[in-house]
Amino acid sequence: MAVSFVALLNPAAGSDNLLSFLLSLVWIAFLMIFFLYPSLGQRMQLSYMLRDLERKLQRLKLIRDEINQVAVDTIKRVGKPDSDPSKELERLSEFFLIQPESMDPYGLVFKLEHILETGETTYEKEVAAIAPHATETQLKTLTNLVEILRGINTLYRVVRHYYLLGRKTSNIYMVLQIQMVIPMLIEIAESYRQAAVAFSKGQPIGDGVGVLVAAKLADGLEKTRYEIAKDTIVQEIELEGRKVYVIRAAGPGGTVGRPGEAVKQLVEKLPSNPKIIITIDAALKLEGEESGKVAEGVGVAIGGPGVDKYKIEELAKSRNIPLYAFVVFESITEAITPMKESIAKAADVVLARVKKLILEKVEGGEIAVVAGIGNTVGVGG
Amino acid sequence: MSEPALVFGPRQREKYPQPLTFLKCSTCGTENSRPFREEDYVFKVVNSEKCPKCGGSVSRIVNIYVPDRKEPK
Repeated sequence: MAVSFVALLNPAAGSDNLLSFLLSLVWIAFLMIFFLYPSLGQRMQLSYMLRDLERKLQRLKLIRDEINQVAVDTIKRVGKPDSDPSKELERLSEFFLIQPESMDPYGLVFKLEHILETGETTYEKEVAAIAPHATETQLKTLTNLVEILRGINTLYRVVRHYYLLGRKTSNIYMVLQIQMVIPMLIEIAESYRQAAVAFSKGQPIGDGVGVLVAAKLADGLEKTRYEIAKDTIVQEIELEGRKVYVIRAAGPGGTVGRPGEAVKQLVEKLPSNPKIIITIDAALKLEGEESGKVAEGVGVAIGGPGVDKYKIEELAKSRNIPLYAFVVFESITEAITPMKESIAKAADVVLARVKKLILEKVEGGEIAVVAGIGNTVGVGG
Repeated sequence: MSEPALVFGPRQREKYPQPLTFLKCSTCGTENSRPFREEDYVFKVVNSEKCPKCGGSVSRIVNIYVPDRKEPK
C-alpha cells in the first residue's frame, strides 16, 4: 500500500501523479472563488484597513485618556475642588459652539464674535466653578487645558464615527479616506498631548512668539499701561521720538485676548490716525522649511476664526492706514508645544526688524501701533 | 500587515520637552539657566535665587525655551 502511494507522488508517473492533481485542484478552486466572488480581494483589503484603523483609534483613545488624566490632576492640584472634577470635565469636553447661519451673510462676523465670546465666557465660568482656589492667571491656563481636552475628545469621536460607519457599511472608500488622513491626525493628537503638559505647568508655547516680541518691545520703555479689551493690554512707549502703542494679551495666564477689538478701540480714541499698524504672529511653515524663519509682508497676521482680522482690516481700510505684518514660521506641533530655541531666538530678529520698520516709516512725533498676536501663557511683563 | 511596533512601540511616544529658564542677574548682568519650574514666566523678577557669579539675589527671567537638539556630525 505504502509503495503504491509513493508511486502516485512520483513526478515520473506523469498524469497519474496525485500531488500534481491535487495542486491543480487547489488552483482551480482559487480561480473559481475569485471568479464567482470578485469582491473578495476588496473585502480582504477592507479587513486589513479596518484592523489598521482600529489600532490607531486605540492610540487616539490612549492619548485622550492621558490628557484627561493631566487635566484632572492639574485641576485637583491647582483648583483644590471639594469633589472629583472628572464628571464635570467629561461634560465640558462635550461642550460645543454652533456656527451662525451664513445663508444671509450680512453681519456674520459680529454674530460669530458674539457666539465665540459667549462660549469663552461660559467656559471660563464653568472652569472657575470646578477649580475654586485657582488664581485668575491659573484659571486662564486651566481653561486652555480643558479646551485641549475638548479638542482631542472631538478628534477621537470623529475618527471613531468614520471607523464604525465604514465597518458597518463595509464601505472601503469611507475607510480609505479616514485611513489616509489618520497619520496627520495622530500627529495633531501627539501635539495635544505635549500641549496639555505645557499648559498644566504654564510653559510658554510656540504660538506665543508674537506676544513675546511685543513684550520685549515694551520692556524697559513702558510709560503707561491699561486694559483696553478683555484680557488685552496697551503699553505706551516712545521709540526715538515716535509714539508707539503696543497691544498684546495680558500674561502670564493662557489667553489670546481680543487684539482686533483692542486695535479698533485704541485707534478710535487716538487724536490722529497711526502711521502704520504692525501685527506679529506665528505662521504655519511648509514641510521642509526651517522653524523660526522670519518673513514680513503686508496685511493682518492673525489666525483663528477671522473676527480680529476683519476688525483691523475694516478699520485700516476706512482710515487708509497701511498694514504691515511679521510672521515666524513653525509647525502646528511647535505652535502648541513648549517654545523651541529657534523660535525664541526668532523673537529677537523680529524685534530688530519691527524697530527698523517703525524708524523708516514713521516720522518723529507720529504714531505707530504694534500688535503681538498669540497665546500669552508663560509670558508676563 | 501593518506595523504595530510603530503604533504601540516606545519609539512612537515622544517624551515631554523640558524647557530651560534663563535668568539674568540684576547686579552683574550674567545670564544663567536652570530647568523650568512651575510659576516661572518670562519677565518675572526672582528674589529667591542667588547669582552663581556675584551672589546677587535679584534676577529676572529673560527667556524660557526648549534648547534645540544638536545634530550629530
